[in-house]
Amino acid sequence: MKAKKSSAHYNRQDAIFKSILISASLLVVGLFVALFLMLISGSMPSILGNGFGFLTGTTWDPGKGIYGALPAILTTIATSLLAVALAIPIALGIAIFFTEYAPEKAKFSLTLFIDLLAAIPSVIFGIWGLWVIAPLIKTYVQQPIVASIGFIPIFGGPAYGISLSLASLILAMMVVPIIASLTIEIISRTPVSLKEGMISLGATKWETVKHVSLPFARLGILAAVMLGLGRALGETMAITMIIGNSYMWPFANPSIFAPATSITSKIASEFYEATSAIYVGSLIELSLILLVITLVTNALFRYVIKKTNRGARRQ
Amino acid sequence: MTNDSVKLDILKLDAWFGDKQALKGISLRIKPKTVTAVIGPSGCGKSTFIRCINRMHELTPGNKVAGTILLDGADIYNDMDSMDVRRKVGMVFQKPNPFPNMSIADNVVAGLKLIDAADKKELEEMAKENLKAVGLWKEVENDLKKSGASLSGGQQQRLCIARALAMRPEIILMDEPTSALDPASTAKIEELVKALKTETTVIIITHNVQQAARISDMTAFFYLGELIEYDETRSIFESPKSPLTERYITGRFG
Repeated sequence: MKAKKSSAHYNRQDAIFKSILISASLLVVGLFVALFLMLISGSMPSILGNGFGFLTGTTWDPGKGIYGALPAILTTIATSLLAVALAIPIALGIAIFFTEYAPEKAKFSLTLFIDLLAAIPSVIFGIWGLWVIAPLIKTYVQQPIVASIGFIPIFGGPAYGISLSLASLILAMMVVPIIASLTIEIISRTPVSLKEGMISLGATKWETVKHVSLPFARLGILAAVMLGLGRALGETMAITMIIGNSYMWPFANPSIFAPATSITSKIASEFYEATSAIYVGSLIELSLILLVITLVTNALFRYVIKKTNRGARRQ
Repeated sequence: MTNDSVKLDILKLDAWFGDKQALKGISLRIKPKTVTAVIGPSGCGKSTFIRCINRMHELTPGNKVAGTILLDGADIYNDMDSMDVRRKVGMVFQKPNPFPNMSIADNVVAGLKLIDAADKKELEEMAKENLKAVGLWKEVENDLKKSGASLSGGQQQRLCIARALAMRPEIILMDEPTSALDPASTAKIEELVKALKTETTVIIITHNVQQAARISDMTAFFYLGELIEYDETRSIFESPKSPLTERYITGRFG
């Protein structure tokens, strides 16, 4: 029989293990702080050289040394909001079908496809958007709309295919699985006792969803939407391939069918040609702005989640 | 076969959870404007029994029901739509379940809002009337806009009874409505149940045999999915015919 190990041995072992875990956790904090500081210091040439005009300028002409980020900032916000707006009804439809109507067997394959959709690399969405969807949408959606209500500036022509609206559409497809899977999670947490209460009053399934499940889940759905928004804001590859990378939108051409440039597509398509310090600094400042937008969205998400949990506990 | 003295006629009712049979050939008749207590040990099929009467049992996929239930002569499984049945057969659950996203007043009329487009004033009247019927009006008249979840447990349960009553149901099913409540709230609900039978027919499950004795006219004793004995409450408690019934009501098992 082996001699028993002393409790001091265990204490020492515990202490070592604990310090390893603490270092791993500190690494996350350290990484974030280092990244943030690096972005700020990297942006300095732009912050000092371009000044506040960087945020309000509408021209980006490295040849003349003019760097204005406003169109890119607006495009990032507009594509993401539009994408989420397109995704919400689809994701809600999926979630309500899944939780209230789908037979067990269908649930299994639906989950599989939602997960698969979420796992598609964004470059595939990009290539599909560029070569398949762009020509289709140009002929069958954009041109008819331009022909009929093109006099309204935001629906004006010409139809390019690759555009702000195409980017939003493809982003929506990428965001749907995120919002849908979270919404499924939230709606299925609706207490059975509440649903039965509504059913016992003679409510149909839809009435039960409308009066019980959706009100119960509303804050959680909002949180899911925020998370989807965060995903949309940061998406780069697909956007760069299909948005057109032109500074046209919104000032030169306010149409949603016009090509545009988002923060991410700007950085992705120009980082390799940025040579001067101020050019590099401007691109880094763009990423700093994106990080701040993302952080704000994330903070909103956390706030909503916190409120949701509090509401759920009161239940 | 119908006559005025039968509200609910249950014939050879069987029910299953998947492959497991939970009710075996239950037949009984319930008279209008009476209180019927359903008693028996846990797992004896009491809840399944009343959930067949408002067609809630079938909501879970895999559950099945066979046999006949006639409500005023109409077969609830063949002649009526399930939603229709539930409007005529209200239910009060074990755990009070007011809708937390609705105000107290909206909770009362939640079911009414589904069927007709009564105007706001009418709905307010209905809310008031039914809150009065359950003795809650005085307690909440200044808080009608507050959430239904803000009330105490006993008040919530009376709110749920008001919600069921507002539908003017032919029958109200109650699934151990006082088991989550304190004695004072329980006493109020018991008084309410006794008063309800002037208007409607009540079928109440209870785990508390004294409660059954206090409030019911008829008592049905269930055991392992079978109806062992069904008789006037007094007979059940004074001279039970089955030794099983006697052992249960005297607290020797259950």
